[in-house]
This record gives sequence, structure tokens and C-alpha cells, in this order.
Amino acid sequence: MQNDSKEWVLDAETEYRFELDPGASLAIKLVHGQAEVFGAELAEGKSYLFGSECKAAIFTWQGCTLQITGHASTEYVSDETPMAAYANLHIAFEQMRVRALRVAHGSPNSDDDPNANAEPPRVLVLGPDNSGKTTICKILINYTVRAGQNWSPILINVDPSEGGWAVPGAIAAASVQSPLPTASPANPLGSAATSAPTALSSNALVPLSYWYGHADIKRNPLLLDRLIRNLGENVRDKCDGDPEAYTSGLIVDTPSSFASGPTSGASTDSRHTLIKACVEAFKINVILVVGHEKLNVEMQRLYGSRLTVLKIPKSGGVVELDLPYRQRVHKYQLHTYMYGQKIEQPPGISSAILGGEAVTDVVLSPSSSIINFNDLTIYRIGAESMAPSSALPIGAARTVSEMQPVLIDPASSGSGLLNAVLAFIAPFNPDETERYDEEILDLNVIGFLVITNIDIPNRKMTILSPNQGSFVGKTAIIGSFEWEE
Amino acid sequence: MSIYPQAHSYGQAAYPAPGYPQPGPPTYSYQQSTAPPPSTYYVDPHSFRRDYAARLAQLTINSRPIIQSLSMVAQEYSRWAEIVVQCLEAHIRRVPPYMKLPSFYLLDAISKNVYDPYARHFAPFVVPLFLETYQQVDQTTRSKMEEMLLTWRTGAPSGKELFGFITQIAIERGVWGGDRGAADISKAQVLSELEFTLSQKERALQANTWDHEARKHVEVLQQLRSLVEAGVSQDELRQILSQLRSLSQSTAPPTTSSQPQVSYPQPSSTYQYPSQPVYPARTSFVPPAVQHSESINSSYHYQSTDQPKSEPLDLSALLSTSVSSGPSTSTSAAPPSNIAGLFSALLKAGIVSATGTPVGDSSSAKAEGSTPQPSDEPSENEREASRSYRRAILAETIKLTNADITKKRPAIVRFMYERLSVQCKQCGVRFSDDVMGRKDMESHLDMHFRQNRKANQNLGRGHSRSWFVALEDWVHDTSTDYKGKGRADGVRPLNAKASALAEAANREAELRAQFVIVPPGDEAKTISCPICKEILKSEFLEDDEEWVWKNAVKKDDRIFHATCHSEALTSVQSLAVRLRNETTGRSRSGTPEGISSRASPPKETASLRTSLSPTAESKRAALKRKAENDDPSFHMTATFDNDGTPPMKRLALEA
Ligand SMILES: [Zn+2]
Ligand SMILES: [Zn+2]
Repeated sequence: MQNDSKEWVLDAETEYRFELDPGASLAIKLVHGQAEVFGAELAEGKSYLFGSECKAAIFTWQGCTLQITGHASTEYVSDETPMAAYANLHIAFEQMRVRALRVAHGSPNSDDDPNANAEPPRVLVLGPDNSGKTTICKILINYTVRAGQNWSPILINVDPSEGGWAVPGAIAAASVQSPLPTASPANPLGSAATSAPTALSSNALVPLSYWYGHADIKRNPLLLDRLIRNLGENVRDKCDGDPEAYTSGLIVDTPSSFASGPTSGASTDSRHTLIKACVEAFKINVILVVGHEKLNVEMQRLYGSRLTVLKIPKSGGVVELDLPYRQRVHKYQLHTYMYGQKIEQPPGISSAILGGEAVTDVVLSPSSSIINFNDLTIYRIGAESMAPSSALPIGAARTVSEMQPVLIDPASSGSGLLNAVLAFIAPFNPDETERYDEEILDLNVIGFLVITNIDIPNRKMTILSPNQGSFVGKTAIIGSFEWEE
Repeated sequence: MSIYPQAHSYGQAAYPAPGYPQPGPPTYSYQQSTAPPPSTYYVDPHSFRRDYAARLAQLTINSRPIIQSLSMVAQEYSRWAEIVVQCLEAHIRRVPPYMKLPSFYLLDAISKNVYDPYARHFAPFVVPLFLETYQQVDQTTRSKMEEMLLTWRTGAPSGKELFGFITQIAIERGVWGGDRGAADISKAQVLSELEFTLSQKERALQANTWDHEARKHVEVLQQLRSLVEAGVSQDELRQILSQLRSLSQSTAPPTTSSQPQVSYPQPSSTYQYPSQPVYPARTSFVPPAVQHSESINSSYHYQSTDQPKSEPLDLSALLSTSVSSGPSTSTSAAPPSNIAGLFSALLKAGIVSATGTPVGDSSSAKAEGSTPQPSDEPSENEREASRSYRRAILAETIKLTNADITKKRPAIVRFMYERLSVQCKQCGVRFSDDVMGRKDMESHLDMHFRQNRKANQNLGRGHSRSWFVALEDWVHDTSTDYKGKGRADGVRPLNAKASALAEAANREAELRAQFVIVPPGDEAKTISCPICKEILKSEFLEDDEEWVWKNAVKKDDRIFHATCHSEALTSVQSLAVRLRNETTGRSRSGTPEGISSRASPPKETASLRTSLSPTAESKRAALKRKAENDDPSFHMTATFDNDGTPPMKRLALEA
């Protein structure tokens, strides 16, 4: 059909893996058979678009023919995948959901093992760099929403370098009802709601998000601990009030730094503290350790008596990602947050689907506005340059300044505001008597902005944000992320 | 916010929805199927007039309940039809442009539902009223008015023009120019009629997802739309138009079921279902498409309830026959000689292939509707379906142990594919072939339908990201509260909508709170907004002890309504986006709908803003925003001003 397109015939339980160079895009069409991308099934005859250095795999349970248009820097078919193990996990989790639902309905059934656990799955996924944690979370979530039982599991991302549905630096939770599409590393978990109509509810997700502001968990572990606990408390509240959310369970994706690092010292302490924060905050009952024997042993020792710790295989398709790549992905994420998702269609392809939506439907028009310095109240949490925890003497206690909101004056030359990514946070409690010192740490994010220009003589700054409405009177928090178009 | 399909369906909840099997004869009257009308009893025409006008004042948005209730009162008090008509006319003329459409929907509802004496009361002035309104409203509203106008062609109980032939012609000439059917046919008119016919067909398809005929029509019409959009000759336009007209005439009766005029005791295929005998599937009679699917539907119910009242039907066999019959299904379907003509025209033009598969793959509504009608009688079947899933899941012997997880052969194909044998062709989501699955599939397709419509209306418009919701709303989002209902995949959480609305209201309020201080000495001066030409209201701020112009913003030494100015900015911005998109789209490919996503929205939106000086172009767009503080819909602003809350400090929106 097009000169640049090839057909690939895949046997049952194999997958087509590909990697894209910057600027390259790929269109994949299921010609016949059945195929899925990280657990989300493809519709036959539609061209699915991939870009922004996407590295992904199209797996088939029963065999299929794919038509691939565009240029992948690496592409091959593999018959060694851990999908059977992930599918078994899914079925085991379905059993937990079904039992939990029966209990919720007050009808435990006699045909079932009376000693079986009647809790829904609340799963923490741990693994080192490049183990495919996020992909596993996505597959498990996608299988859950595909079960045809109207489950709406909560997907939680506590990896601040990933940012889930927002921008890097945030941690977030969202209830998922339709399969999460894959198109680019800019939004691996679906997209937050926009004013555009979407075909998939997973492109109109409503996340609850908190702003940590840094990629590295060691930058301010105390803050991250507190935000994780905030997120957990609200997720629990939601589940308490919503039996369906409760029985659907939840899955927590974590940063790789939870899994790796020195075996002793302050850094180990902080990652153990953060794992503990997750286990407690989300009432975790299953820990999955992806392909890491030492960590598995460690978790067995710490949690094995209270909950299920299970080592699961990692996929051979997972690619080593270097730091420059991760930084480019952060740029893609910020660009996507501001402008929506944009990927060129490869030559010869028109009307492809991008992340489940028509290509034109996902374009945003952010507004650039000039505001006065005092229209926005800007804070930084903690001292500007803080020694990482690991640099502190073992056992040394942090000073309170780590959690202290510091007001930033845009007029001061060292404000660090230019090109900074800031989070708008929810308003303070209107009831003055309910206010407290560190309230700002417990407020969720409502949107993000980037400061693109500062005009000190006129006390004005230019901000870019995809949100509509006035920014005057709002409060924002700076982190350590910067972005320039 | 008000799209026409909503308006079409304002009767939908109240009347038996199309296709739902329901016992007994259908009900036609309002009283039986909706909440009773307000029980106020009017003894004299004066208090009736006062009250009706007051109720009308509440019609500021496209609200189905308000339109219904006003329409019901009109029906009940048809002896005072003149009063209703006068009130409505005055209301339409008085309200700002953005509030006019809902009032027209009311006029439409009363005229169609009650018809006599209302239609003849409206007829004398509906031409100028329609055309004047049409001039004042924005493009989106215009296209909705055009859609409504098209329904008036067959809006009378007789299937004739709702307000008479002469009136209809006069309005159409005013809107599209030229004589109906005469020389110059505009592309806009053809597109408008195409959209209308397409929406009829899409509704038909939605109501009956088994209707392959309708599905093919939808596909053909979509191809046709692309073709017309790309540009065709006068000759072709005329040909298309005449075929469209005969097509939409011929399909008019069935589609009335989803329109307000269902209240007529005019038989439509939907209503015939319950009272007609269900044709046994093996009968030699080849029923028209609609009834055909009904028979499948009912047999299918029997099957799933294990009540062998009729012979169980092999669904997949039936499905495959109807699918394989392909384009020639027209032989077994009732009316469509016209679409056949249209089809052959398209065939000649090379737009569709002879196999009935559209050339190219743009058929967005090609949803696979392999599920029969949903039934509203629920639970037992539904529960049984879930129970069967649960039993099957629990029957798996798998433990969360390393050995089980890594060694076992998963039964995933059975659960993910075999149990869920029905797939949405558009997005790949699967459903089970049972009551629950059918229901979910139905609302899923409905979602695609609405989304496609919205996407078409919004093409090229600049979108924004929604603010994340407040914590309370996230925790207590109850849109996912109970099983099955409105919970199928694709239903956007309520919160997203709520937050979008709140956002808009919030923005509106913020704009209105902006003010400009009146320079000393100018207190007596009246100035008007350069966009809408209305006089700016001034007000004394007690706190600041200064006179200010409310809802005002100063730009280049001129003072605008903050709302008008913001509206103008938005339209300029989105225009720029659209232009860029269209330019790149055109240069890249000849595909009519291949609008590129390549273009980034202008990076320097700020510079766009500064150079902006709103022109007459933007005036119209801005008009609809214009509303004064005494508008009932903006009492929020009013209370904000009156309760002593200090107005927001000096505006900061500088450009
Ligand atoms: Zn779908
Ligand atoms: Zn104005």
C-alpha cells in the first residue's frame, strides 16, 4: 500500500517490540487477529500512532498480522515474554476482587474457600531502574478494566520523576475506567481531562495530585513521605465512601530509587521509610518485586509475615534508559501538559489514532499571560539548596527548615523563577480558625504553570498555562524542574 | 453547552425511549410520563401571564426540565395560547443572544408537541424572529438553528412544514439564500442538510445497533460530507441535495421517536414494537430491518432468561448473515431507494467501493453494534451474568505464589476474549454477549456518538486543560458509585464536567469583578464598550471611595467590557490556531479531514494579544458574552457586589 509499510505476522504469545528515535513516528495497524499494547486491545483496521521516542511492544495472545508504517530504530519480534505471569497475576487479583465484592454484598459464597482473603488487591510494585514497573502497573490496570465487570481500580503513581497525568515532580492517584493507551512516554498512564471531548475516559482522567517538585526522592524524603500519606488518606476516604472503588482495589507505581541504592546508611533508611509510608498509606496487601532477588529477600524479611511478597519476572523488552533520555521525556511531558499530545503521522498515513483519540482532538491552546508580581503568591518548600539526606551524618535529624514554606520574591535576582515549573495549589481553608502553619504542604495541586519571562523593573512576569481563567490571587509552589520550549 | 441533540431529546426521558420494549400501548400524554405540571391553577389571564413570563425568565440555559415544564403549561393552558405566544416572543427578543437558542427550543417544543393552536399563532412572526435571531448569534448557535429549521420541514403532525410551506421557504431563503431547489445552492446549505440527515441516521443506528442498513448509510453520508467539504460542483451539490431531501423525508417518521414530536399519536416504528406480534425468526416473511432486529432482540431475551418461549436463536449465525449480505441488505430493508441512488452516485464518484466498504478509513462511527437493544428490565439477568463470571474466576486454581504465577497456563484468553466476544470497532473495547454486556455496549456506543458529534463541532477550536478538581470532589466523586448504570467505559466522570462548568462560571465571575477607576471629573461621562457598543455601568465603591466602571478593562486607552474583551481574545486566539492547522493540513495532504496536528498553537500568544484591537469581526462573538448585572443568570456577580465582600483588587490581566 505505502512503500514505507511492512507487514509482520506474529505467532501466538509473541510480541513486536520497537524503539523510536527523536522525531520519528510509527503507525501500527492490526490487519487481523488480536493484539494489545500493554494490555490495551487494538481495534482492527485503525492506525495507532506512536512517537516521542516511544519504546513499546504489541503483544498477541492468539496471533495476529500487523501493518507497520514509519521508521523504528529498533524492531523485532520476541517469543519470550512474561505476559503469562502477568495474566496469572491478573486472575489471582480478580479472585480477590470477586471475594471482596461478595463480602461487600454480604453474600460470602459457600462454594468458595472460606479461609480465602476477602480483601481486594492493593498492590505495591517495586523494582529497580528499567524493570518495566510502570508497564506492569498499566497491564494489570488494563486487564482489570477490560474484565467486563465495571471495575474502576485506582492507579497511584508515587514516582515524582514520572509525574502521572500531570508534570514531572507530582505524585497522583486516579480512578481508571477504560484501558490506558500507549503512544508516547509523555503520558504513559493516559491523560488528565481537558475541555476537548474524548473517546476514552482514560484521556479525561481526574487525578488527585500533590506537588513534590523534584525528580529525586532523596531531595526531600520527609516531604515526599508526607505527600504519600496525604494521598493515601484521601484514597482511603474515597474507598470508604465508594464500595466499587474499594472492591476494585488499587495499584501503586513507585520510583526505582525505592528499590535500589546502598544497602546501608541514610539513603537505605529513607527508601525504607518511603516504602513503609506506601504500605501504610495505601494499606498494601501485595508487594510485587520485579526481577530483583535481593530486594525480594529484603521485602520478605520486612513484610513477609504481614502481607504477600511476590517476585515476578521482568520483560526482556525493557530498554535501558539513560539520563539524557529521561530528561527529554520530562520535556515531552511538559510540552504535552501545555499543548496536548502531538505526533506527526508518518508519510502515507492519515486519520491515525493517537492514544485512542483522533489526532486533532488532543491539541490544547495554552495561554500566555502577563501578571503583576503580587498577583501570585509563590513558595518554595524548604531551603533552596539543601544537602541531600544521604550527605547528612548517619542519624542526624533534619532541621524543620526542610518542610518550611519559604515565600519567594520574584523581584530578587536569585529567585530562580525564570523557566521554573510551578504548581498551582488548592485554596487555603477559608475558615481562618482551621488554618495551620504547614497547611500548604497538605494542599493538592489544581494546575501547573511555567514562568517564561520576568520583568523586574515593571514588576511583571509572563506565565504559560493550559488552564483557563484568572491566575490572580492564587498560590503556587516552585520545585526544581525547569522548562523551555 | 447546548447542542442540538440534547434539544432533540428533551422529550426522551419523559417519553418512552425508542426501542425499549414496554408493555401495553404507548403513552402519549405528558402527564402520564413526566412529573405532573405545576399544580398552580390560574383563574385569570393576568396572573397567568405574569407567572408564565416569570417562569420564562428562568430559561437562561438549555434546560430540559424547564423547557418541558413550560411546554406542559402551554399545553394545559392552550386556551390562553396567545398569552404564551406573546410572552415567548417578547422573551426571545429581550434576552441576550446566547440565551436565545433555549427559548427557540421551547418554541419548537410547543409547536411540535401541542401543534394546534400554537403553530398557527407563531407562524405570523416566526420568520422575522428567526432571521433576526440568526443574525445575532454565533456560528455554533447558527448551525443549531439550521438543524432545528430542517426539522420544521416535516414538523407538523401531517409530516408537512410545521409553520406552513410559505413560512418555511421564507426562513430558508433568509438563511441560505436562493429558492429552495432553485439555482445557486450553497455548500453551507448542503452541509447543513447533510449533518441533519446524518444525525437522523446516527440516531437510528444508535437506537438499533443491528441496523446494518443504517450503518452503511452513516458511512456513506460521512464520506459524502468529506466530499462536499472538499468542494464539489454546483451540479453535484444539486444532485446530492435532492437525494438527501428524499432520503430524509423517507426516514422522517422513524426518527421522530427521538424527537420531541413523539408525543403525537402518530405511529412510528418504535411504538409499534410492543403491540406487534414478534415474528418468529424462522418465518418466511422477511421483515423490514427494524422489526427484524426486534425479533432477534426478544428471542435473545428468552434465551438468556432460560424461558424457552420461542426457539432460541443462533445470534452469531444471524449476525454473520446480516454482515455478509453487505451492501445488498437494501433488498431486505424497507425504504432506501434513494440512498441507493446516492450510493451509486458516490460509486461513480469513486468515493465508495462496490463492496460497500468506504474507500479510506475515515468512517468514525463505524461502531460494531453486534448487540441487540438493551432492555431496561435488569437485574436478575444482569446479576446472573456477573455471578457466572465470578464463579468462573473463582474456579481457577491459582494462588499468589511464585510457582503458580510463573508456571501456570493462564486462562486469560477465555476471560479477556472468549467471554467478551463483542468488540467496539472504534476503540477495541470488548463486552460480553449477555444482558450486562449489551447494556454496557449500548452506553459505550452512545458515548462514541456524542463524542464524535462534539469533536466535529469543536474542530480546530483551542482547548484548555481542566483544573484538577477540589479534594472533596475527588474523594466524593459518586459517578462510579453503583454498578452498571452509566458506568460503562468511556463515561467521563461527572467531575470533569462539573469542574469545566465551575471553571467557566469562575472565570465569568472574575471577569465581571474587574473594574476600571473613573478618572476624576469624568463621573458624569458615559462611555460605551467598543465591542458591543453598550454603555458601561459605573458604580461607587464604598471601600475605595472611588467611582469605577464595572466589568471593565482598559486597553490602549480604550475601555472595554472585561467579558467582551476576553471573548474577543479567545476568538482571535482560536482563529489563529485554526488558520495554522488548516494551512499545514492543506499543504500536507489532500485528505479533506486530515487537519494536521503539526502546528503548535502560536508560541507567542502574548504578542497576539497585545496587537489585538477588537474589530467588528469579533463583535458578534463578543455579543453573546455581554450581559448586564440584572441578568438573572448572573446573580452570582450581583450578590458578590452586594454582600459587602470587597471586590477583587485591581485587575491584573494585562496584555
Ligand atoms: Zn469504543
Ligand atoms: Zn462590551
